[in-house]
Amino acid sequence: MPPDERSRVGLLQGTLDLLILRTLLAGCAHGHAIARHIQQTSEELLQVETGSLYPALHRLEAKGWIAAYWDLSGKGKRARFYRLTPLGRKQLVSERSRWEAFSRAVALILNPADEESR
Amino acid sequence: MTSFWRKLRWLIQRTDKEAELREELQFHLEEEAEQRQGKTLEEVEARWAAMRDLGNVALVQENTRVAWGWTRLEQFARDASYGVRQVRRTPLFSAIAIATLALGIGGVAAIFSAFDAVIIRPLPYTDADRLVMIWDDMSGTDITTRHNPTPAEWIEWRRLNTVFTDLASSQPGDVTLSDDGEPEQVPARKVTWNFWSVLGVQPMLGRVFTEDEDNKSVRVAVISHGLWQRRFGGAPDIIGRKVSLNDEPSEVIGVMPRNFYFMPSREIDIWMPASFPPWMLRNFTWHDAHIVARLKPGVTLEHARHSMAALSRQVTAKDFRGAHSVILMPLRQEMAGKTQTALTLLLFASAALLLIACVNLTNLLLSRGEARGREVAVRTALGAGRSRLVAQFLTESLVLAAFGTLAGLLLALPAMRFLERLVPESMAAARLTLDWRVLAFSTAVAVAAALTFGLAPALRGSRLAPQQGLREGGRGTAGRRSHWLQHCLIIAETALAVVLLTCGGLLLQTFQHLRNTDLGIKSEKLLTFETPLFRYKDFDRRAAFINSEVEKVRAIPGVINAGFINLIPFTNFAHATFYLLEGQPRDSFAGQVALVRNVSREYFETVGARLREGRRFNAFDRKSDSPVAIVNEAFADRNYPGQSPLGKRFKFGSLGEKGHWYTIVGVVKQIRESGVLAEAKPAVYRVHEQCDQGGDLKAGIVVRTAVEPASIVSAVREAIWSLDRNQPLARIRTIDEIVDRQLSTPSQSTALLSAFALLALLLASLGIYGVLSYAVTQRTNEIGVRMALGATSRQILLAFGRRGMSLTIIGLTTGLILAAIAARSMTTLLYGFQPDFVPTVMLVSFMLLAVATIASLVPARRASRVDPVVALRNE
Repeated sequence: MPPDERSRVGLLQGTLDLLILRTLLAGCAHGHAIARHIQQTSEELLQVETGSLYPALHRLEAKGWIAAYWDLSGKGKRARFYRLTPLGRKQLVSERSRWEAFSRAVALILNPADEESR
Repeated sequence: MTSFWRKLRWLIQRTDKEAELREELQFHLEEEAEQRQGKTLEEVEARWAAMRDLGNVALVQENTRVAWGWTRLEQFARDASYGVRQVRRTPLFSAIAIATLALGIGGVAAIFSAFDAVIIRPLPYTDADRLVMIWDDMSGTDITTRHNPTPAEWIEWRRLNTVFTDLASSQPGDVTLSDDGEPEQVPARKVTWNFWSVLGVQPMLGRVFTEDEDNKSVRVAVISHGLWQRRFGGAPDIIGRKVSLNDEPSEVIGVMPRNFYFMPSREIDIWMPASFPPWMLRNFTWHDAHIVARLKPGVTLEHARHSMAALSRQVTAKDFRGAHSVILMPLRQEMAGKTQTALTLLLFASAALLLIACVNLTNLLLSRGEARGREVAVRTALGAGRSRLVAQFLTESLVLAAFGTLAGLLLALPAMRFLERLVPESMAAARLTLDWRVLAFSTAVAVAAALTFGLAPALRGSRLAPQQGLREGGRGTAGRRSHWLQHCLIIAETALAVVLLTCGGLLLQTFQHLRNTDLGIKSEKLLTFETPLFRYKDFDRRAAFINSEVEKVRAIPGVINAGFINLIPFTNFAHATFYLLEGQPRDSFAGQVALVRNVSREYFETVGARLREGRRFNAFDRKSDSPVAIVNEAFADRNYPGQSPLGKRFKFGSLGEKGHWYTIVGVVKQIRESGVLAEAKPAVYRVHEQCDQGGDLKAGIVVRTAVEPASIVSAVREAIWSLDRNQPLARIRTIDEIVDRQLSTPSQSTALLSAFALLALLLASLGIYGVLSYAVTQRTNEIGVRMALGATSRQILLAFGRRGMSLTIIGLTTGLILAAIAARSMTTLLYGFQPDFVPTVMLVSFMLLAVATIASLVPARRASRVDPVVALRNE
């Protein structure tokens, strides 16, 4: 069920990169499939702006974290697929740990230790 | 780094990538449409929903292109092509701008190419920075401060020094080359065997001579590439060929590469072993060597100077003239000579001209910027940020600078031909070319200039608020405030022009003075040449030959008179000897040195020398035991102040018992034997038959002609050959040519500096005109209002005229102050002459005010002619 505007969570630019990399860890996919995967796996909470998806994909490709190739989609149409490169794999690990540090930091502030409600 | 290469590859595959992106987005749209269709919507609506979701395709493409990374490059290319279109669209403006830049950049490029040739281009030796020349410091004597060392000193220095890896000696050794062909006098040097290793050069063919050959006086020769080509036709069997040098057979053992040369000139064609005779190695007064030395690694010049000064004093401690020190000069500086100062001055002058050009361009662009307010407003409204606009304007400036550089380099070529004569004598044939260093420098200068003149207009132009610009009739009510920059620039360029004009005026005065120096002889139509005398070793035979030569030449039709002298005037700064006056104690000769010249009897008449008192030589002065001499004024004033030296006796040259006492019979007015620019030194002249020393190695003949000297050269050759078939004639040139050559540095630098100064004046006045003219255009409405309110034409004229003149006067004052400072640092170029500051200043001020008045009045008149009705109607 498509969520309404309020519950859609905005994505910071850096996190889009992280999500793309993680999606491609599971296997190669074309742009549309990546977007759909993110949408579905996040239980429709994250809606990728397609206007920022493709620039992001090409940016990652420029950096060498993902590589692109043309292939036939499941329906037989020609599509541009992306796969994770070894460099991208390393980057995914570091991005992930950065994200986790970040979310931990935010959590610490939101739930400060000495103000824990009993 | 790999991402850079990837981006570069994508740049090349651009069109493909664009097509792929379209296809990719198309695929996305279709998938999305299918997906939505699958859920609830119909096909068309699904498509619409998909497209909406994707957003603005163009924007997506744009953002993706940003990710591809070439946006900056594309922007630059786009701005540059816009700049080129701008240039074509406003031909008059562009022509003025490009011409101005061409003058500035071309001037700098030309001077830099000379600078490069003289000071930067590597010399054809290994590690040339470690090479120094060593000179004797004879500041205690009358003749010269710096003199050639002696081979005897070379031996000692080589043995005792601690700062050089090796030292080599080079002496004059001009020879007559005769084999199958015309006998030719070839400039040559006698060098020690280690000459080649000190310089670190290899022959192109064959080999160089060894220490053994030098010590055993083996007759071998290394020749230059030029001689090999010219004389021997580049024959491949040159090595081992026997040639006759001064009538003695020598074997050619090596040929040097094409670009090899060394002091004293590029024309040296043969190098032979020095083969010092034993007496020369003990004689500390035989000053004819050039000594070149290589510093040991790690030894500084300062250290070497101290060490050698001490060593020299030690070696010459027992010298009867007193111990003397040495002067060490880096080889590069030696070869550049006086021209280094001249070139530095010219480089500053050309830089000043370039600055003036940039100032004019800034003003031009500022004015144009205000007219482009509309365009800027539109761009800003469409989303251009300030930095984007600044980048655009700067790129346009770069385009102008690029055109200006191309035009400037074209202008530089004739300037470089002119400059080639400025390059010093020891490197006389150096070609000035636009090699990569000059091109790189010009490009750098162009970019710097573009940034200089483009920055202010770019910043100013991008500042306009869109609202203001878009309004119809966007009047630049830019008040007084925004013109202060332009006024300051005008003052700056006027000041610079004044500095250039003043320096040019001072140099011009100096040059006039130099040109008018009394040479002591009448230089019109005076031909000179040299013939060697080595075949006439016997004194009487030599004297006879000299006299016959002179007679034969005098008999040629068209010749007024001819004479002999052992060294042509202005060409030799030394060849001096000690003298002793009658009545002086034996050892007082030590500090007394005079130039010595052996002449024929008619010499003074031929050259038109003037007598102060006494007589010239005549037919009665023949070989005798009581010879006579003529001295010059410097000699007379120094040794016989206040009295007449006629009848007094003195010895010179040969001071011992066998030396003759010479009686002074005449005092001749100063002839500048040492050179046009050198100081006058004491000199003595005697008839060659009365010479009591060894003979001269060559004869210099001077010929006064009634016709053009060049036309009788072949007749002279015939005359000499009728006496001796194997005599070559060398260094055939007129006195005028010699004088011009010596004056070439001051004459070229004066000419160029004056050219720069006049161009600067032109540009500065154009700048004043431009700014005022633009102000008038801008303020037409205001003028209309004023006139409508009652101002007369006259008042408007004065108002604008005054603006121009006040700027000029402030510029003039600033310029004169700067010029005074500049003149102080120019003293070396003024050859010790004190030019009169006042007339130059007055002339410069007058010129500037005159030109500026015209430049101000033209726009001012235009202002005064404004018809208020027309002006106000254009509201």
